[in-house]
Amino acid sequence: MARVYNWQIRRQMSYWYPENRPQKQFAAVFDINKCIACQTCTLACKTTWTSGKGQEYMLWNNVESKPYGFYPLMWDSKLLGMLGPQAWNKETFAGRTIFEAAPAGERVLGWRPAEFDYAYPNVGEDDCAGTVEHGVSLHGPHMLWFYYLARICNHCTYPACLASCPRASIYKRPEDGIVLLDQGRCRGYRECTKACPYKKVFFNPLTGTSEKCIACYPKIEQGIQPQCFVNCIGKIRLAGWISTPEKAREDNPIDYLVHVKKVALPLFPQFGLEPNVYYIPPVHAPAKFLQQMFGPGVQAAIDAYRSAAQDEKLAGLLGLFGSTERVVPRFAQEKDWVTAREEDGKEILRVPLREPIYIREAFDKKYQVVRTNCP
Amino acid sequence: MMRALVVTVAVAPAVLLGCRRVETPPSANVVLASAAKLPSEPSDAAWNAAPEYVAKLIPQDLVDPRLMTASTAELRVRALSDGSRAAFRLEWRDETPDDMSATARFADACAVQFPAAVEPTVPSPQMGEAGRPVAITYWSASWQAFVDGRGNSLQDIYPNAAIDHYPFEAASLKSGSAEQQAMAARYAPAHALGNDLAGPRKLPVQDLIAEGPGTLSPVASTDSDGRGSRTQDGWAVVIRRQLPAGFAEQLHTQIAFAVWEGSHEEVGARKMRTAWITLTNQEKP
Repeated sequence: MARVYNWQIRRQMSYWYPENRPQKQFAAVFDINKCIACQTCTLACKTTWTSGKGQEYMLWNNVESKPYGFYPLMWDSKLLGMLGPQAWNKETFAGRTIFEAAPAGERVLGWRPAEFDYAYPNVGEDDCAGTVEHGVSLHGPHMLWFYYLARICNHCTYPACLASCPRASIYKRPEDGIVLLDQGRCRGYRECTKACPYKKVFFNPLTGTSEKCIACYPKIEQGIQPQCFVNCIGKIRLAGWISTPEKAREDNPIDYLVHVKKVALPLFPQFGLEPNVYYIPPVHAPAKFLQQMFGPGVQAAIDAYRSAAQDEKLAGLLGLFGSTERVVPRFAQEKDWVTAREEDGKEILRVPLREPIYIREAFDKKYQVVRTNCP
Repeated sequence: MMRALVVTVAVAPAVLLGCRRVETPPSANVVLASAAKLPSEPSDAAWNAAPEYVAKLIPQDLVDPRLMTASTAELRVRALSDGSRAAFRLEWRDETPDDMSATARFADACAVQFPAAVEPTVPSPQMGEAGRPVAITYWSASWQAFVDGRGNSLQDIYPNAAIDHYPFEAASLKSGSAEQQAMAARYAPAHALGNDLAGPRKLPVQDLIAEGPGTLSPVASTDSDGRGSRTQDGWAVVIRRQLPAGFAEQLHTQIAFAVWEGSHEEVGARKMRTAWITLTNQEKP
């Protein structure tokens, strides 16, 4: 094992290979508060990539309800149970990552789901954290809660799938950090399906190889966001490039959300993979649950998100989500407008900071009719 | 009557064992007996002409990921040669036949390994080493099932599965047309790359080459063949392949074996194996 630096847990850690960051790292921010679990992302991905034989129950993108939704079953809680209680010392992780907790003979602490664990992708959907008793009324903070967690491969800086493969069939592209599984080299050992804590590598029994999300790299190579991003009707997703914290740029949308405003957080940073999909946590769920899932920055992230109405740059950037098919490497907010820009500063598009409001009168004087308001 | 039956049952294995010993005394190494024709079936009587070698198996516990608990204890090997090719019959006890590879199911398998060339010293028995390759022939119970007629559809794994639609089987696409096949290949990149780890398969074996752990690669075209079948208590597998280059001159080389127990989730590096065992030609009287 080598020693590498993982900025998400703010310390050195053990990893199978030495630190070797790509020239650019694909990254994304998902705003959980805007997700309605319509599964359009899931279908966009499935139609594009996994409609083949042996891929029937394979969802490179899925949306599950937390706390009781899992695909595959118990993917996160099982590993959390195996790791046992782990502690953060403020923002430094004081526990053991899945690489450091690997038992003898293993490269990673992991588990392999049973086949039927993949058979219920919608289990727990819309199940809230408690029973709705007679007489319960709605007030804040919500006593009963759930939220939607949209998940793809995290294209981790330290992928467990890559570390676990004894054949080096999984590689991280130096040009964009996308993690790919070589379909010509894989021999279906399924070490990766066991090692990935997010369970985002899947075995195809009809090809005998494992397969995973490819971040729609043919689109990324054209500067276009992946299918699950551009088809998201809730406009919860933004794809881009992330820097390490010391190189963070204020005009890089991902850097701004993750490093500057710290409003977007990694999924289970304590596992140690430095995942590159970041989540704006849901504002209404209990902090303790969210801290286990997104680390110690949860409360600060929620506070920053709640103050977005008074923060024009942040609000403007959130308005760029889902506004263009293009990957947005730079942005700028000037007065009432926010612009998405290419790396060289060329404008991709501009979005008003506040949408103009039109009020339609109930009575249409021109046509002399009363308008009907449809609910 | 009952007592007589019990006695008969108890004595029978000893008698059979005794018969086997008379036919083929246990060998100190793997010995290639001469045969005019190499048998393809594990049950062929021709195997009786070859001495049996009992190879003790040890877990692969040198390279991560390792096999931490031992499973299959030993392998019984017989070998025949017609001068240029050799046939090996590998038999081992395995009460759980695992002939399917699915998400959490692993197939039983076995393999033979030689130094790729006969030289005075041998490469590492652990998959060879850089610049000093080993040649391997691998047999899988899953591949055997495909050869024996099992289909390669979701229903072959889950008989009650229902599938609405595959886009490359739309009515608008002519079945078997180039356009239809190209579309199907786009959803099966491993097949498109010729990486045929699942069905359909013509052979239950594959020839491979390795220069150290993690370097295993199929050769361009598998020249070996084989056949495996269930015995009363396990598997009997025949692997027929070329002898390593230079063997005819040297008359001895090394051979190693590996067995994967599917129900024990053995796959890849997680296997029971042997060290190098000397392989010789049977001395002619």
